[in-house]
Amino acid sequence: MHQRGHPGGNLDRVFAPLTYLIMAAATAQAAWAVWFAIKDRAVILKQLWGGAVVEALLLVQVFVAAGMLLAGDHDIAVGEFWGYLVTVLIILPFAAAWAFAERTRWSSVVMVVAAVTVVFLEWRLVQIWTRTG
Amino acid sequence: MNPAPTDPSSIDPTSIDPTVARPTNAGFGRLLVLVYAILALAATVRALYQLLAHGDQAPLAYALSLLAGVVYIVATIALARGGGRWRTVAWVACSFELVGVLTVGVATIADADAFPESTVWSSFGQGYGYIPLVLPVVGLLWLWRTRGHDGPA
Repeated sequence: MHQRGHPGGNLDRVFAPLTYLIMAAATAQAAWAVWFAIKDRAVILKQLWGGAVVEALLLVQVFVAAGMLLAGDHDIAVGEFWGYLVTVLIILPFAAAWAFAERTRWSSVVMVVAAVTVVFLEWRLVQIWTRTG
Repeated sequence: MNPAPTDPSSIDPTSIDPTVARPTNAGFGRLLVLVYAILALAATVRALYQLLAHGDQAPLAYALSLLAGVVYIVATIALARGGGRWRTVAWVACSFELVGVLTVGVATIADADAFPESTVWSSFGQGYGYIPLVLPVVGLLWLWRTRGHDGPA
């Protein structure tokens, strides 16, 4: 089977679904934190584990992207692409540590903003990836 | 009589003693610092990328973006430290950002050719959802609200 138009092979077809999966997971994370903020509760350890799952998916995404770009030529802005891939990795660990030290509802609001930022950055990644056609 | 705490982190954020400055990193301040950190990251990474990828095209605009990013980093650290001398640093950094976004915002609207490439402050931060315009105002209001009447402004 030839995969024309997919120089990176299978990884090319994995990238977009993986990114949508991450967006869904981060949205769930955000919704969970919104619920806690409404209930006037601070972030709990279970939510940090949820964040760790999203972070693990983001790490997988970096490896998929690296494999994909090594496997073939892609007509995308590579520097910009990597800028987003690496930046998005920093958000959740920093926000989790920062939020966990605060024991008011504001810690939940911090997690909401962090998770929504991840969703937004992933959406930008899909845009950069697909605008080449 | 309450002895005035010297370490800002030892101040109870819920205390309502109006003479003691409250830490800037607690409560709503947690959120403010996170948003500042995200903007600092976005502005700095983008400016570095622009300078490295095509710095010769608009060196002034990109250098200005990088300066903006560095000042956001300073503001983030100052607000996260919560008090003392950092409070003064936060005042200066937030004021600088407000002046920057207003100046560049007016300049990009008055003379679009002066800034051929967009910066974080172009058109009052439109490319960043006007967060660069709103954030320094919120930062200054927060510093004002958490100030102590006897403490440093």
